Amino acid sequence: MKIVIVSGSPKGQGSASEKIAAALQSRLAPAADCAALHAAKHNREEIMAALAGCGALILVFPLYVDGIPSHLLRLLDETRSAIADAAPGLTVYCVVNNGFFEARQNALALELTRNFCDSSGLKWGQGLGVGAGGMIHAARVGHGPMKNLGKALDALAENILRGQTGEDRFAEPNFPKFLYNMIAHMSWRSQARKHGLKAGELRRGL
Amino acid sequence: MKRTLILHDLSQNDAELFLPRDPVKYSSFAASPPVRHCTGCFGCWVKTPGRCVINDRGADFAALMARHDEVVFWSRLVFGGLSPDVKAVLDRSIGFVLPFFRALNAETHHVKRYDMTPDFQYIFYGDMTRQEKETAQKLAAANALNLGAERCAVSFFPSVRESAAALRAPI
Ligand SMILES: Cc1cc2nc3c(=O)[nH]c(=O)nc-3n(C[C@H](O)[C@H](O)[C@H](O)COP(=O)(O)O)c2cc1C
Repeated sequence: MKIVIVSGSPKGQGSASEKIAAALQSRLAPAADCAALHAAKHNREEIMAALAGCGALILVFPLYVDGIPSHLLRLLDETRSAIADAAPGLTVYCVVNNGFFEARQNALALELTRNFCDSSGLKWGQGLGVGAGGMIHAARVGHGPMKNLGKALDALAENILRGQTGEDRFAEPNFPKFLYNMIAHMSWRSQARKHGLKAGELRRGL
Repeated sequence: MKRTLILHDLSQNDAELFLPRDPVKYSSFAASPPVRHCTGCFGCWVKTPGRCVINDRGADFAALMARHDEVVFWSRLVFGGLSPDVKAVLDRSIGFVLPFFRALNAETHHVKRYDMTPDFQYIFYGDMTRQEKETAQKLAAANALNLGAERCAVSFFPSVRESAAALRAPI
């Protein structure tokens, strides 16, 4: 089976989406022909060419203001029926990661993506919400705090390879929420210092 | 007097026909042609607090929100959410809140940057399904919670022309 992963993080490198896409690709690649593309790097023609005759599309993106990042949303809005024409019988899977700890906050972005499938005549496969995306580089996927994520990706990869659908799932790190929040706060302050901001300037209004 | 900021994706022609003309009560921000999209750098939080670092007109919207009593998101409904043009402006405007977390209803949300927060009004137009309307209701409530707006109203219309009436109704 031919599978295409489209990453929807606009970051150049080191995005959580890219790491999730790579972990998923390594679970799918032995059994399938799996290509990975970026909505912010590849143009419409390249993405549509990759999708031709493809059996599964996996969208992997960060949660932006409770929804889909605008550049990916534009791609989906403008390609709707063209995707169904290029790949009849395509099933869409989706992994959304967010900055807050709670993975459930990704449920709306999964719902928006499901609505995209309905309006484009595509089959919806399954969604996965991943909380605490800021922690993704803390360990290898499947290890330590990223153990839950590893299990969730194993199960998703199995469903994708079998062409099955499934209920949406949500994965949070094996790590306490209060510590994650504390580390996030320290990190915002230290990044602001690196940019030469004094304490308090980070909170100023315009 | 109440000051309303209207973020919209209307064509130039529709904007001329349907935007309110009272410049004291209403300011408007055209989402089309689109502003550049967010690059996920968080510069609006840690480099130039409150303002996006990309230098185009999309950087102005967050501070404008803080100067109005009400923000109207007037948008074509796309998959149950904002259109790509309107979303591009909103993604560029998260400097409106602080990066810091607070707990609300046992969920994490952001600490507000400004004491005062405008009410939100979502006016959606275009073809839509029942499911898309349901998603939009939830999305508007989630946005309001995350960006600190206390009141939020949502309405749906088949066309731009019909949706123009919603602006005259008080929320
Ligand atoms: C414009 C913008 C909006 C965001 N909105 C949310 C949000 O509504 N909820 C949330 O939990 N995280 C939000 N985040 C945080 C990202 O989802 C989080 O940093 C994610 O891990 C980034 O993934 P990536 O590295 O794949 O780009 C937002 C980030 C940006 C830049």
